[in-house]
Amino acid sequence: MALPVRYSFRNALVRWRSTLATVLGIALVVFVFVLLQSLAAGIEKSSGNTGDPRNILVVRKGATAESASLISRENFRQIQYFEEIARTERGEPIISADVLVLINLPRRNNGGEANVLLRGVTPRGMELRPQVTLVAGRWFTPGKREVVVSAKLARRFANFDLGESFKSGTAQLTVVGWLDGGGSAFDSECWLDADEARAIFERDMYSSFLIRPKDEVAGTNLIARIENDRRFKLKAEKEVEYYRKQTMTAAPIKWLGGFLAVMMSVGAVFAAMNTMYAAVGARTREIGTLRVLGFRRRAVVVALLIEGGFLAFLGGVLGCALAFYWNGYTTATLGFETFSEIVFQFRVTPLLVIEGLVFAVIVGVIGTLLPAVRASRLPVIVALKSV
Amino acid sequence: MIGRFMAAEAEEPIVQIRELFKVYQQGEINVTALNGISLDITRGEFLTLMGPSGSGKSTLLHIIAGVDRPTSGSCHVQGIDVTALNESELADWRNHNVGFVFQTFNLIPVLTAYENVELPLLLTRLSSGERRRQVQTALELVGLADRQHHLPRQLSGGQEQRVAIARALVTDPSLIVADEPTGNLDSHSAQDVLTILQSLSRSAGKTVIMVTHDPKAAAYGSRSVHLEKGELSN
Amino acid sequence: MTLTGFIAKNALRNKRRLSLSVTSVAVSLFLLVVLQVALRELTNPINDEGSSLRIIVRNKVSLAQPLPARQLQVLERIPGIAAITPFTFYGGLYKGDEKFTSFAQFAVDPARTLPLITDAKVPREQLEAWLADRTSCIVGKMTADRYGLKIGDRMQFTSQLYPADLEFKIVGIYEGTADDRNVFFHHKYLDESLGNPGTVGTWWVRAASIEEAPLVTARINQAFANSSAEVRAESERAFVLGFVSMWGNIQTLIGGISVVVVFALLLVTVSTMSMAIRERFRELAILKAIGFRRRELFAFILAESFGLAMLGGVLGVGGAYLLCNSLDIQKLSNGLFLLFEVTPRMVGFGFSVAALLGVLAAAAPMMTVARTSVVEGLKTLD
Repeated sequence: MALPVRYSFRNALVRWRSTLATVLGIALVVFVFVLLQSLAAGIEKSSGNTGDPRNILVVRKGATAESASLISRENFRQIQYFEEIARTERGEPIISADVLVLINLPRRNNGGEANVLLRGVTPRGMELRPQVTLVAGRWFTPGKREVVVSAKLARRFANFDLGESFKSGTAQLTVVGWLDGGGSAFDSECWLDADEARAIFERDMYSSFLIRPKDEVAGTNLIARIENDRRFKLKAEKEVEYYRKQTMTAAPIKWLGGFLAVMMSVGAVFAAMNTMYAAVGARTREIGTLRVLGFRRRAVVVALLIEGGFLAFLGGVLGCALAFYWNGYTTATLGFETFSEIVFQFRVTPLLVIEGLVFAVIVGVIGTLLPAVRASRLPVIVALKSV
Repeated sequence: MIGRFMAAEAEEPIVQIRELFKVYQQGEINVTALNGISLDITRGEFLTLMGPSGSGKSTLLHIIAGVDRPTSGSCHVQGIDVTALNESELADWRNHNVGFVFQTFNLIPVLTAYENVELPLLLTRLSSGERRRQVQTALELVGLADRQHHLPRQLSGGQEQRVAIARALVTDPSLIVADEPTGNLDSHSAQDVLTILQSLSRSAGKTVIMVTHDPKAAAYGSRSVHLEKGELSN
Repeated sequence: MTLTGFIAKNALRNKRRLSLSVTSVAVSLFLLVVLQVALRELTNPINDEGSSLRIIVRNKVSLAQPLPARQLQVLERIPGIAAITPFTFYGGLYKGDEKFTSFAQFAVDPARTLPLITDAKVPREQLEAWLADRTSCIVGKMTADRYGLKIGDRMQFTSQLYPADLEFKIVGIYEGTADDRNVFFHHKYLDESLGNPGTVGTWWVRAASIEEAPLVTARINQAFANSSAEVRAESERAFVLGFVSMWGNIQTLIGGISVVVVFALLLVTVSTMSMAIRERFRELAILKAIGFRRRELFAFILAESFGLAMLGGVLGVGGAYLLCNSLDIQKLSNGLFLLFEVTPRMVGFGFSVAALLGVLAAAAPMMTVARTSVVEGLKTLD
């Protein structure tokens, strides 16, 4: 038979002063863990949120990112008339050959320099990416050296305000609009006219094709056709699939989060252990009394484990709350695939909260285990005599 | 009335102690706490154990209550040899047969008077309704029904000890053991506590065993036994 | 019994708690030092004499934008340049690697490269073999060891950047450079596979002297200003630091998190140690009753707390030192970390934190002792 749960809860709460440090310690461990994982989740979410499930993206085989891909104009001529590709009312194939260029630009407030992903995009390519909307200014005029930058990047880079201009290569580019990618990877891009981009950066080749097939079946066929054609060294896959796989940047952050969590939890377990040893020490006689009343060892151990787990749980809740404060906060780093600045938000997902809480409780229970067992192992008579 | 009837029927003593030895290892020295004690206690008796510090009276009490084990000898309570039970069996046995009252009350500070008294009942299969009835009865018996929602620190020492007695009573054990129950109380509260213990043996038929070194307290008992250096001295 | 003896006896009395406290101090300081080591490794590139002599010239647009090969003629005429070679990051995935290969491959002009890698030790006949064979390469010893490669083996790569999958024959293994991981191969071989596009990734330049290096950098930038392919020349060190700056917020974030980590552990540790001393309250009260003055009691508390923290410091910092020096971190971290060195400054910092910890942990109990009277202290007996 178990001791009432309120015995554990009240004991945990009644000593709040002496347990405060432990609760805070566990809270910070959980905070660090959840925060780093939410960062990784944010990166994954932003790239997982990108693309239209109907679209197919073609890049060079072997290129891990669109920006590192090169496709010849010959390939474009060959592919654009494939009958799997949907047509507009006027009979033009719905395919966009984009050019991606990395440009090195200064950050605001002398924050050093970073690479920005510049996408030379066709009108067709804009239609294929309805996620991208204009939030300020206007779209670029084809044939002019105008650029529409991501509003989120505009906050981070110098000369990105409307009407300002920056130099890259031989060209002076004027910012005429701000775009919003709706939380997708497009939030980390700047768009300009595809032909202009190829002219300015002397690109004879394309970087990628974005294609709308006639239907699902045609899409599958198209992927197989491009992949199997010996003439092409190209890789075709669904646009959403391509972006979903862009998770390299998140991996080391996840790893760091895990590493820190493990290291810190060692400290947290010690803290919980000390707190509970002290708690048990101060209540030796009380525990003796419970045993005299007929409670078995197991009941005492369970009650103390609940107490320690509950304490740690409180810490976990606090840690998750601290991490949640950052939820949605926009930040940016160097994307490993694109090699450019990628913008994303901290995402404290429900799963992460649960993971954080479970993690906290485990720390609490492990820390309590030894003290609890020690308390229950004390002979009743010794427990009673102890002052 | 019932108590007297039961006492008359029980020919056999409720506690039978035979040749009880208890030797402690203290560092490298052996300390003999009990040196071959034999004692019978009859049902409904209010027995007081007296003697100077270190005479072994508490040890004897602890062995009877099943919280300590003798080095050798036997102790039968209601025909069961408590020295032969294992840890878990002893825990159950204590819960059903013994009510313990301590010198330092030993109430659980985070639980209210009511909850403290209810604690031993959580080990039984009683429904919550039955539990409530029994707790109420026990609290009324010690005159603290109006204080049931107070925490121990909100009670006086005497009240705390009465709650402890209620806790000892609530499972309706046949044996109540008390270790210096008045040691931490003023004389007025001590009187209350002793009167309750006395009435438990007289009118409820409980067997009460109390350790004390206060002759005034011992006067409330029906029989007094003296220990000296681990042996019965009279 | 001396006072020191008394303090030691006191501290050793509860061995379980002593070890818990010392271990938690040790764990915190261990983590503190390791984080510092990692942060330094990531943000502070290797700085040797060669790296301040060497200059990287890239397209001003970005590293990803190629440079015209014809720039070589202009560069060769710039005074103060001792050596120059095309230097193109090939971005190859070594066979079997899915997404990440732990070493870089560079297309260079072998004859021009030798003066740039003077610290590399390669047997003469291997160098000659490299110069002679267009499809050959030389491999850093770390990479060779890691993959069990030897001279005569072939390496196949799929490039993430160029539509040219190449296979090289290993003719030499070098060691002694700051980063013995890279593979160097013939730029001509890459050019041919790409159909001679007439471009290079970057130029790798060696200045004639350290004094002249900044001048050379400026001259190069000047030489191509307002041309169709403007360049950015910078020292190797500045080039690497440029990468670090690209990390942006993450760097700040990791720094911030390290602070939180350390703070959390310190918090826990301070509370642990305060608890240890608080539990000894009764004794302190007795000492007070005997006639010890407050000052002496403070000394007891401080000595114990300080001793504990320092012991933890020795274990934690020492552990980190031993670990970082004995681990093959390059292999473990998949090539992310190279040196993983604990510097004397970090050791000093670790011990300063330990000392601070010792004082902080003593503060709370000292305050209580100061406030508590003998009678109150003795009351806690019960």
